[in-house]
Amino acid sequence: MLDRIVEKNELLELVDELSRERTIIGPVPREEHYFYEAVKNVRELDLGFNYCVYSPKAFLFPPTETLFRFEAQDGSFGATPVLEDRPQAFVGVHPCDINAIRLLDRAFSRDHADEHYLSRRGATFIIGIDCPKACIEGVFCVDMKSNNAEEGFDIMCYPLEDDGKGQVVYGVMFGTKAGREWILYHQAGRAPSVKDERDFKQYQRQKEQAFPRSIPYDVDTLPDLLERSYDSLLWEATARRCYSCGSCNLSCPTCYCFDVYDELDMTLTSGERKREWDGCQLPGFALVAGDHNFRGKAASRLRHRIYRKGKWVREREGISGCVGCARCDRACTAKISSIEIYNQLAEEV
Amino acid sequence: MKPKIAVFSLTSCEGCSLAILELENQLLDILGAVEIVNFREAMTERDCDIDIGFVDGAVSTPTDVEEIKEMREHCKALVAIGACACQGGINSLKNHQNEDDYRSYVYGDGAKHFPTIKAQPISAFVEVEYELPGCPMVKEEFLALVKAVLSGQQWALPQTSVCVECKKQGNLCLYEKGIICLGPVTLAGCGAICPTFGSKCEGCRGLASDEALQAASINLREQYDIPLENILADLRFYGAYQEKSLP
Amino acid sequence: MTTLENPQLNQPSSIYVPEPAEIIKMAKLTEMEMHYELRLADGRPLGQDPGQFVQVSLLGVGECPISLCSSPTRPETFELCIRRVGKVTECLHRLSEGDTIGIRGPLGHGFDVNEMHGKDILIVAGGLGIAPARSLIQYILDERERFGRFFLLYGGRTPQELLFKDDVVRWRENPDVDFHVTVDQPDSGWRGKSGVVTTLFRELPKLDPNETLAVIIGPPIMFKFVVLEILSRRIPQTSIYCSLERQMKCGVGKCGHCQVNNIYVCQEGPVFKYAQLKALRESVE
Repeated sequence: MLDRIVEKNELLELVDELSRERTIIGPVPREEHYFYEAVKNVRELDLGFNYCVYSPKAFLFPPTETLFRFEAQDGSFGATPVLEDRPQAFVGVHPCDINAIRLLDRAFSRDHADEHYLSRRGATFIIGIDCPKACIEGVFCVDMKSNNAEEGFDIMCYPLEDDGKGQVVYGVMFGTKAGREWILYHQAGRAPSVKDERDFKQYQRQKEQAFPRSIPYDVDTLPDLLERSYDSLLWEATARRCYSCGSCNLSCPTCYCFDVYDELDMTLTSGERKREWDGCQLPGFALVAGDHNFRGKAASRLRHRIYRKGKWVREREGISGCVGCARCDRACTAKISSIEIYNQLAEEV
Repeated sequence: MKPKIAVFSLTSCEGCSLAILELENQLLDILGAVEIVNFREAMTERDCDIDIGFVDGAVSTPTDVEEIKEMREHCKALVAIGACACQGGINSLKNHQNEDDYRSYVYGDGAKHFPTIKAQPISAFVEVEYELPGCPMVKEEFLALVKAVLSGQQWALPQTSVCVECKKQGNLCLYEKGIICLGPVTLAGCGAICPTFGSKCEGCRGLASDEALQAASINLREQYDIPLENILADLRFYGAYQEKSLP
Repeated sequence: MTTLENPQLNQPSSIYVPEPAEIIKMAKLTEMEMHYELRLADGRPLGQDPGQFVQVSLLGVGECPISLCSSPTRPETFELCIRRVGKVTECLHRLSEGDTIGIRGPLGHGFDVNEMHGKDILIVAGGLGIAPARSLIQYILDERERFGRFFLLYGGRTPQELLFKDDVVRWRENPDVDFHVTVDQPDSGWRGKSGVVTTLFRELPKLDPNETLAVIIGPPIMFKFVVLEILSRRIPQTSIYCSLERQMKCGVGKCGHCQVNNIYVCQEGPVFKYAQLKALRESVE
């Protein structure tokens, strides 16, 4: 059920107004691709973008961030946490990336709540834009059941009519009270009519045909398939091409592993403890004190990543660890492809 | 007494020494923490030892050999800075040419007055505590190393490749533009400065790992149809001295 | 405007900020290991379970995970045994009594002592594994009447490398524990047994498979041989505990460094039942 019908120009006007209280982050064209960037003017946004090279993860979980500042002089011991909660809005997030954010939300809030992620996340308003068709060749979001987002957004915009020249009519669904209030407070758009609901059903039917499948089995059986593939030769054979450069991890919207380190000021008595993105494909990731490496071979690291994405995260968090955005596949200069691995395993076992 | 630091150049462009001066914002802080001494002057005072000696440049002449050995004796910690001092650098390209040819090319008729030897990293002659690779060295790494040594901590180079830092910068991968970049095989630490400004990585920091090199020899031939000689030529630009380890 | 509950930010806090603890006592155990007795700056007990660990911080240097080697039954202080193997531990060794370090924890899951009550306990410790084991050993000795028979086997590489030598002397003479120690490489002064730790199993009386809980803590290589000894005595897999070593960076189940398959050792462990572990490839490989 739709909650509202809003035209794109009106949506952008609302976003323009929103920019007075929030930093607007959305798809901006650069070098023939799109990137999520903070914009000064909403006219810089291109909501008709196909895909962004990276997900908006970096605005919730930055590549490097300070956890706390410390003073350690003459036996004193002072540490002040550094939390970031400046209001921001993501404008134009596709379902794959929304599903990835849902996973990050869960991972960072379970057991010990990570205040650093959650304070940024709490200050973030998310405007989703649905994909009527696969954005580019090679994505497999449909196979991972991630081409629709049920939650994780404040509002979701379905492009029901698109004249291809910039005029778009969005069917809008509210995801949160905040999203509802934002649209209704501004009295934006109109209530959906019976015809709009019919158009929405038609849109969803067409969408089902517009995402070509890439794996010949249901993703729910992937954990079992992986379970049986632990000792496959495929890991070693594929890993021979692996640079262990970590590009797959670092471009993945659901990877959230990190390293922690201290940075001293030149005074040597104060400084910051920081964290930065890390990746399970990097050679020293599972190294322990005394130099024993529990995943010293690229093959065991590759297997770890694929298992994590296809099996372990799902078992642990109840959400797929892979959203099928194929950013890992595109980022790999060795052309190691997770979808190819999923297919090869199916043939093998 | 403040720790003494000295900087010395062997065969090089001295760009790495200059990179220290580029630490404009931190330079005063550094000078507050250490005393930078002139190496020549410091050496003449016999009892004056240097806490950290930084050397840029390759060992490429008989004089270089003597100087680096002398430097070693006077430094508690010796740090090789830059590609030349760490790997031989561009200088070692000559190692693969005929000696008479390159000497007469460079020095003309006066060649006989300029004896030279195979260009080598300083670690081929003396023990080196730390290496700060790169062409030029990365000034942030220099700063981090100075802080680590002053606070009595171990310090180590990253073990990852340039791709890690390139992705953190949010760059478009140059391979997406059809450019073959040496980022995947090159040791990180530079912040992926070249790809960030649109130039391909040329591998000035040396190899990330032997495994990465093995992967390159497969990928560039099989996936990108690049002949092995071309890969070698690219890697040789900064890594000619290490050539024996190339596949 | 949020899709997620905003945490209370009035009092900025962070799970990554350590709290100060004072070094009450420091003693060199071997060339490599130092023994620390610590107290939280606010004086409250740490409140650990045997087998749990803490993240130890030196501000400006870094953080590393260290097992607790003392029992909550001795709450005035807590103790750590730290081997010098890296940047942080090297700097820790240079500290002095009265210095302050940072502590986060206790973290992870330790031994389920309630399950152990009333049972015979067999602890097999190798090398540095005696440190985490000691938190349980102290607990059992302090609450002795709540346990059945208590067997303790300890193996070290050389006599010099044996840890907690004072304890070793005491345990030998303590009637509350059936204690045996061995070294792989004896020297001329060593009067005790020599050989790998599994050779100590001959010293044990008949074990009751249904009433015995076994604990194995030591290097991966030791683990396989010891688990075989125990299983061959028909002790069920669910009655064997082991503790895994990994390099935790966060200690709170986020950073991924300690992950073994789908398990975060810092959350679900470091203490596991063997029944859980055997399905985890890479756990002790």
